[in-house]
Amino acid sequence: MSSKPQALTSIGPMRAFASNAKKVSTELIEINENLMEFNKFVTEYYKQLSETWTEAQKKVNQKSPDVPHDVEQIESFKRIWIDIFDNDFTELFDSEKFGENYGKLVSKELELTKHWNNISNVILQSANLPSKEEIDEVYREMHALKKRVTKLEIELKKKKEIKNDGGIKNEK
Amino acid sequence: MKNETKFDPKILEEMIKFGKHVMNAPKFVSAPDEISLEVTPHDIVQEIDKTRLLHYRPLTDKQHKTPLLISYALINRYHILDIQPEKSWVRNLVLQGFDVYMLDWGSPTSMDKYLDFDDYVNGYLDSSVEYIKNESSAEKISLQGYCTGATIATAYTTLHPESVKNYIATAPVIDGWRDTTVISNLAKHMDVDKMVEIIGNMPPEFMYYCFSVLKPFEQGIEKYVNFFKNIENKKFVDNFLRVEKWLGDTPPIPGELFRQWIKDIYQDNLLIQNKMYVGGSHIDLKKIDMPLFTQVAVGDHLVSPECSMPLHYAVGSEDKILKIYPTGHVGMIASSLSQNKVLPELGKWLAERS
Repeated sequence: MSSKPQALTSIGPMRAFASNAKKVSTELIEINENLMEFNKFVTEYYKQLSETWTEAQKKVNQKSPDVPHDVEQIESFKRIWIDIFDNDFTELFDSEKFGENYGKLVSKELELTKHWNNISNVILQSANLPSKEEIDEVYREMHALKKRVTKLEIELKKKKEIKNDGGIKNEK
Repeated sequence: MKNETKFDPKILEEMIKFGKHVMNAPKFVSAPDEISLEVTPHDIVQEIDKTRLLHYRPLTDKQHKTPLLISYALINRYHILDIQPEKSWVRNLVLQGFDVYMLDWGSPTSMDKYLDFDDYVNGYLDSSVEYIKNESSAEKISLQGYCTGATIATAYTTLHPESVKNYIATAPVIDGWRDTTVISNLAKHMDVDKMVEIIGNMPPEFMYYCFSVLKPFEQGIEKYVNFFKNIENKKFVDNFLRVEKWLGDTPPIPGELFRQWIKDIYQDNLLIQNKMYVGGSHIDLKKIDMPLFTQVAVGDHLVSPECSMPLHYAVGSEDKILKIYPTGHVGMIASSLSQNKVLPELGKWLAERS
């Protein structure tokens, strides 16, 4: 009966949204869990940067203990500072521990993006719009069709060439 | 007074001068859209999807017979090879009498996420080669690949050796396990399947991150200090802004292409082991039997020499040369050294074979 409040969601965007509301809340819970993991890797990331900075600064202090007094001294201090910091940070970025943590950090970030995509899909579907997967399917189909057309064009070109060659031979 | 610190007034003078330069910078700096990166005159002779084939107009009366096609990298755009007249790779070759073409990969969008190695090698690059062969009536062309563009060109050359007369590999990405750069370390630990599944294309932001961890203090501090110090030097500022504009123009890399590139080159290192497949065809480096010129830079922090040099030893060519230059990745193609040493050597070698 139209007088029943639940009938309000029987058609239109609200129905789709209401039926998918559980999915949204599940995604939000998972985002929360992901964020905790993500924070773990972000913390490790900044810990590595901060430790490298401290070590590099110690090396700079050992190499240039005096306060520079003139322009040349400032220049050479700057050079030492940049060289040591670049070397130490490049060593960090080249290391297994950095690569591994950074890989996990990006991976967690991607998982967060996936949850966000899933929530967006619920909203898109409730508005009767195609989801990301559906659009991807169209892109995949277009790509396959383009390849097929190119292949057919090449075959057609070859056949024309053979036909033309045959015509020339016959004329001879 | 004891322990009095001597303070050179020049320090204060320098600081004030630097401050003035920073304040005056807006007067000397053009907006990015006022800077044109198209230097050497050219025509766009073929467009397929988002790719464009550029043909540079001749600047000499006589030209070498064999045309040269440049397969630029997938990272950033081709403009660095023609960044300013005095440092233009393309202009130099055109002035040496070569008929130069450039393949611009364009800027892929989300709808291009399924483009793969096969599309680039047997599609875009092959179409360009075929176009040039038809236009110039040459049976074969000379092919130059730069950086990741050389990975594509290498795959192409093994699959279509009948179309390539001479192959020039400039800082090619070949042996991922030997690469000692930060980029390779990040690539080895990347969950590329997840990235492609969720994001689609490799986002430019990821490349900006990679750039930011390469010599972060030299590039992040010293470079800009130098810029402000030289703010009244018009030529310096112009060159700086051109390179900055080029650096900021990083298109995404199509997802499937990126997936295969990371897995086959950096993670599984299939190319140098002759185990890579493109579009179902086997990539065998021994099939490269034409003259080969490999150029590497000893200070390359994007593609280390150890990653590029194995190509020289893996091919079947008897006529081959490996040159190592005392410069970096960009220095090899857009610097005074490239104009005065790298390009004259390449031009001489290529002219003898064109």
